[in-house]
Amino acid sequence: MARFVLRRLLQSAIVLLGVTLVVFLLLQLVPGDPVRVALGTRFDQQTYDALRERSGLDRPLVAQYVSYVSHALTGDLGVSFRSGQPVTTIVLERLPATLSLAVTAVLLALLVAFPLGVLSAVRSGSALDHAARVFSQFGVSVPDFWTGIMGILLFAGVLGWLPPSGYVALTEDPAGWASHVILPATAVGLVTASILTRFIRSSVLEVLSEDYVRTAVAKGLRARVVVVRHVLRNALIPVVTVVAVQLASLVGGVIVIEVLFAWPGVGRLTYDAVQARDYPVLQGAVLFVAALFLLMNLLVDVLYARLDPRIGAR
Amino acid sequence: MTRSRVIGAVLALAVAAVAGCGTGDSVDVDAAGDTGGGGSGGTLTAAIGGEPDQLDPQRTSAYYSFQVLENVYDTLVEPGPDLRMGPALATKWTTSADQLTWTFTLREGVRFSDGSPLTSEDVVYSYQRIISEKLNQAYKFETVKSVTGPDPTTVVVALTKPTPNLLANLGGFKGVAIVEKSNVESGAVKTRPVGSGPFAVAGYTSGDSIELARNDNYWGAKPKLDRVKFTFVKDPTVALQNLRGGEVQWTDNLPPQQVTALKDDGGDVSVESRSSTDYWYLALNQGRKPYDDVNVRRAIAFALDRDAIAKAAKFGQATVNQTAIPKGSSWHYEYAPYRHDPDQARHLLGQAGVRGLTLDLMVTSEYPETVSAAQVIAAQLKDVGITVKIRTLDFAQWLDEQGRGTFDAFLLGWLGNIDPDEFYYAQHRTGGTFNFHKYSNPAVDKLLDAGRTESDPVARKRTYDQAAKQIVDDASYVYLYNPDVVQGWSKQVTGYQVRSDRAIRFRDVGLDR
Repeated sequence: MARFVLRRLLQSAIVLLGVTLVVFLLLQLVPGDPVRVALGTRFDQQTYDALRERSGLDRPLVAQYVSYVSHALTGDLGVSFRSGQPVTTIVLERLPATLSLAVTAVLLALLVAFPLGVLSAVRSGSALDHAARVFSQFGVSVPDFWTGIMGILLFAGVLGWLPPSGYVALTEDPAGWASHVILPATAVGLVTASILTRFIRSSVLEVLSEDYVRTAVAKGLRARVVVVRHVLRNALIPVVTVVAVQLASLVGGVIVIEVLFAWPGVGRLTYDAVQARDYPVLQGAVLFVAALFLLMNLLVDVLYARLDPRIGAR
Repeated sequence: MTRSRVIGAVLALAVAAVAGCGTGDSVDVDAAGDTGGGGSGGTLTAAIGGEPDQLDPQRTSAYYSFQVLENVYDTLVEPGPDLRMGPALATKWTTSADQLTWTFTLREGVRFSDGSPLTSEDVVYSYQRIISEKLNQAYKFETVKSVTGPDPTTVVVALTKPTPNLLANLGGFKGVAIVEKSNVESGAVKTRPVGSGPFAVAGYTSGDSIELARNDNYWGAKPKLDRVKFTFVKDPTVALQNLRGGEVQWTDNLPPQQVTALKDDGGDVSVESRSSTDYWYLALNQGRKPYDDVNVRRAIAFALDRDAIAKAAKFGQATVNQTAIPKGSSWHYEYAPYRHDPDQARHLLGQAGVRGLTLDLMVTSEYPETVSAAQVIAAQLKDVGITVKIRTLDFAQWLDEQGRGTFDAFLLGWLGNIDPDEFYYAQHRTGGTFNFHKYSNPAVDKLLDAGRTESDPVARKRTYDQAAKQIVDDASYVYLYNPDVVQGWSKQVTGYQVRSDRAIRFRDVGLDR
């Protein structure tokens, strides 16, 4: 097991190095000059040259990349072009908001998707199954920012039950946090719930057609016992992967919802960094998300290895 | 059950990470709660459209930063409600007979919000920093030879040339604020700036809000509010919902299409507007054919219906103008030679021998009004036989292309100008810093050079009137409109005034509860 984890960690490190290179090269291809954005429209050439030099952008590309990677190895991801703050600090500050939104969204999604997916598979072809399929079709088709805006207009505007936007830290004021998180988490969670419902349904359906399920039914076990003991146990293993991947991708990808709800997370940070061509922050944010993704995957694999010894042995 | 343990483990890890990472970076400098105790002035929450990039006033160029910093910093002099420069840190000033030496007398006993005294040394340090580090506002100190502080309350500015707009340069906005040396050198100025203004930065939650607390060392009238909290809300619909729901008490981020209705009947919300000194314009690249031909530029100026453009771009919250400086400014020059006349436009294009012209018009999603205006302009130019290809870019790319000159035309505005030199010089002088459209007319150069150093106000006005007329006749810029500043606030808010330079001042504002 230790060797398995070690090998995976080594692979992850190589992937991360690749990520830094790809992001660095992509940023060079994107038109737009960070120095110009930082200065706005009003400055003279000397000011431009001075800032370019201060930001280190006048150095050759190879030198810029080598110095970035060698600093990154020591945990120093550089400083933001915009604010001059260390990138590590900036990203870590934003992580709690994003994680709490992503986790809530996935929890909400599971709350809906798990019963809906299992029931619609077990009672495949029933009215409930049809309703579940309409729901998941709706959820994946309607963009989350639209549900977000509708939610704001209804629950904040017309009914006045919830604040329209903003963020309160969970550790400071749990009730305030909950009232702020519910709308964005629902908007994001709806999409996730639809994806998970479909996945859980098809996964359960697949297992239901297995021979051992037929055997279990044939030896006279009650339907409940068959589903809970034999079907779910096997059907939910791949679901763990999907949930983990969904969670990881939400951490990096709830940009639109974070911008709409003024949610101070990594997505909004990425959005602002793109607008300002703040390369160090953008690289840092992508690196963090990639690392988180890899960590999630590793975690899932380790759990798998415990659930299914064949994986660890390989 | 294995499955629940697996899911549980994944989620538990994530939750642990949330809790472990703590809660941003919000530290209170004093114990005052945000709802305030007995007899306190309360907290006003203001929603602005985005987050400041940083809070060093001399390094930032973002309007979001200056919305906050307006309440934190002081300048030597500052524009009053009519935009005439008046006393701030300096109470009076004299000019030598040759106009080359200005002597400012500082207010006695001014302190920074951390309690340390503000003296002429700080003024010298602040200006030296801008000049020697070539910061954003360095171009405003072009004619400054030296800045010295012979005693703690005297600042002497020596010039190489007479500079009648020196006051606007030294106090037009907080980009030339007086900063504290130790605050700058420690680097804290980026997130915890220390100024001498009515409020001091008390907390900053990255991505979410900046909180200001009343500065008890402030030299002016004691501000009524205990605290001002700026939150960053990008979406105007969401900002309006926040204002209506009482989560915020002030915003300038209102959906433009709803402004007229809100002004008529905003319920618990007051919406007011005021014409600004900003102007929006169409620039034609005179480094490219056929836009080097004045007839082609004039043809385009005649082809445009400014009322329709202003209506589409600003939902009527603007005043059309064929020059840069709006009515109401003492520098305004009444001149409007271009009526909407497609026949005249076609005639001029014919004279220039131009047929079947395709114009590449560059606009930016950063300023949605340029995108709306471009569509109307395209329709109007089609009417005179010009096909407009609109390119909508994000601002970083837009700025890049503007700098490289790879456009036929672009739409943009200039914000916050006060002195006519700011309106014209860098934009229209041959080789001027902002003359991206390569306009050149020696007669205009001469006038703009003369206006820079002319110290007699009447003669100076006459010089700029002549320059303005020539710039309009040459269609260097095709001027479109001066937009209104539109801001909304809760009926609880007292004493707030919309300013035409978009400075957001909360120093005299109170909150009824």
